Amino acid sequence: MKKKALVVLLAMAMVFTFVLSACGGGGSEDDTLTVVTEATFPPFESTDEESGEIVGFDPEMMAAIAEDQGLKLEWVNMEFDSLIPALQSDQGDIICAGMNKLAGDRAQKVDFGDTYFESDLMLLVPIDSDLTGIDSVKSDMKLASQIGTTGGDKVQEMQEAGQIAEGIVLNQWTDCYLQMQNGEVQGVIVDKPVGEAYLNSHSDTAKFVGESFGDHEEFAFAVQKGNTELLEKLNTGLANIKENGKYQELVDKWFS
Amino acid sequence: MDVYLKGFLIACKGIPTTVVVSLIAIVLGAALGLLLALCSQTKSKILQVIAKVYVDVIRGTPMLVQALIMAYGVPWLLQSWGSAFKWDNLGGLVVPAVIVCGCNSAAYMSEVIRSGIQAIDKGQMEAARSLGMTHGMAMRLIIIPQAVRVILPAFANEFVTLIKETSVLGYVGVVEILRRGQLWNSSSFETFPAYIGVALAYMILTIPLSKIINGYERKVARRESAA
Amino acid sequence: MSMIEIKGLEKSFGDLEVLKGIDQNVEEGEVLCIVGPSGSGKSTMLRCINRLEEPTAGEIYIDGELVTDKNIDSMRTKMGMVFQSFNLFPHKSVLENLTIGPLNVKKANEAEIKEKAMKLLERVGLAAKANEYPRNLSGGQQQRVAIARALAMDPEVILFDEPTSALDPEMVGEVLDVMKDLAKEGMTMVVVTHEMGFAKEVANKVIFMDGGYIVEQGTPDAVLNHPQEARTKDFLSKVLV
Repeated sequence: MKKKALVVLLAMAMVFTFVLSACGGGGSEDDTLTVVTEATFPPFESTDEESGEIVGFDPEMMAAIAEDQGLKLEWVNMEFDSLIPALQSDQGDIICAGMNKLAGDRAQKVDFGDTYFESDLMLLVPIDSDLTGIDSVKSDMKLASQIGTTGGDKVQEMQEAGQIAEGIVLNQWTDCYLQMQNGEVQGVIVDKPVGEAYLNSHSDTAKFVGESFGDHEEFAFAVQKGNTELLEKLNTGLANIKENGKYQELVDKWFS
Repeated sequence: MDVYLKGFLIACKGIPTTVVVSLIAIVLGAALGLLLALCSQTKSKILQVIAKVYVDVIRGTPMLVQALIMAYGVPWLLQSWGSAFKWDNLGGLVVPAVIVCGCNSAAYMSEVIRSGIQAIDKGQMEAARSLGMTHGMAMRLIIIPQAVRVILPAFANEFVTLIKETSVLGYVGVVEILRRGQLWNSSSFETFPAYIGVALAYMILTIPLSKIINGYERKVARRESAA
Repeated sequence: MSMIEIKGLEKSFGDLEVLKGIDQNVEEGEVLCIVGPSGSGKSTMLRCINRLEEPTAGEIYIDGELVTDKNIDSMRTKMGMVFQSFNLFPHKSVLENLTIGPLNVKKANEAEIKEKAMKLLERVGLAAKANEYPRNLSGGQQQRVAIARALAMDPEVILFDEPTSALDPEMVGEVLDVMKDLAKEGMTMVVVTHEMGFAKEVANKVIFMDGGYIVEQGTPDAVLNHPQEARTKDFLSKVLV
């Protein structure tokens, strides 16, 4: 009786997966492309408090590329974990979310474009912390990071290796910062540009310590597996805005 | 198929945390729920109002919001008043998680317990009082033991509900069943196997429990009809 | 000094006046039967004596001591009560129903309490049922246990609230027999009842109540065989058919 129920459930699961992948080939008739992102990753993307618009380096860079290539874009905000499944199930055409193309096996699920930003991990700590860098972290300490980021993977690795007591993986960077300021964790492992954006407004309460560490990160946009036509357009657009100075203008605007 | 099995096994690693949090929370919820039920039954208007406001606030807000306030907001507030309070001193973020689940459960349990007490014939209280028992003695020896039998199925159902509701605790950093799946998904992008695994892990907890409750209810029904 | 003194007792439920001024004494060793139509206030009067109902006005004295909210728990240990619907504790065995009061209220020696409880069960003819649960007993047996439970507290008086009204007719006799034995042994009893035969045989005094007043009182022979008041005659003509 129980076994039968399990078989039925798994059969349903497989049928559902099959239907999803069967639908994957299609696309919207409309020529507007859907860009999916998770807008809690400033300065790459965040939601403007007043207008509710998604703002940041990524939207402006993509807008410049779209203008160069004559594309129409529409942005959809979702959980970071849902971005790749969204492309796989054809609910989006492009991911642009400060996504590291070197992490995990992401590159097997979607096709990444050329790198538009390189980053490294940094240890962010409260201003009065005695820590001097990632190597000074003790095994009884706790560190936080955001789910689905390289920092999130890093704190879990450190916990498993016994380098820290607990790696707390939260849904948002803001939760990580709050936990650090509340004293629940001793530091946050964060992407350097993200941490820099926080320090812009919180340099009196927090600081980076030590050198960058961990795996080198390369941020890139991604398209559905095999959509080379779109990927080439985006790569060409990126090359063009790098050449005409628009790209540098945006870097200066968002990361200084 | 291997990937589904992996998803299931990963989700199962969260079972101890889910079970421990649920168990402590249901005990806390039952104790606090009994206290609230007794408050709502007393003659004291103040106690009645306290119990009523508590139940309204808890039932009127999502548990996720309560968890976020308890885990993030409370330390922030206390520290802004100059206290050195942090959950880490009390054992980590699982502490506010258990408190929130317990407090939440208490609001529901108090209603269940109250209706259980009211279901006991008032002649029982009169008979107990006529023997010279105080109100408290009569509650403890006569009313509550009978009410417990009435509410046991509802109590167990609340436990099943609580097990499922603990899934919101991942938001405050507790690595229970759902969070295990989410963390694996975030690095492997095996979304469907991850969540199917999570669902199955919850089911191996909740379905046997529901069966036990049904069995007990049938047994009680048989006994009542035999009497 | 009377065992029970009732002075100016009034009781209202909201606007409804159920007792409109009752004055009555009960002497030690007396069996007082209260009769009257339903709604006459006889059960309410009984329940006011041990304060299961809070009197609206008036005073009750037991052994000359005023019954108040403060001393009610200790006063109740002097007054046993037997209910129409038995009200045995269903989650306790027959023996435990007898011992739970003395054990928790009087805090006396457990072995002595059990021994005494067994003697009481023998007296009501139910020693063999000591370890049964109330749901396995007939109505008549349950009521006999309820009487034994009241006796287990060593009361000075027992209040009976229509003790046979909820019983099947063939079980009324066994309960009345236990009550007659109690009366013979000199137990003070106040009995609200519809059993006129019992009242005639056992009572020292009968009260007829109607509309919240005591209409007529006296010996059983005077009240039940030679009533003076029209309302008493009317009532008796209906129940004695």
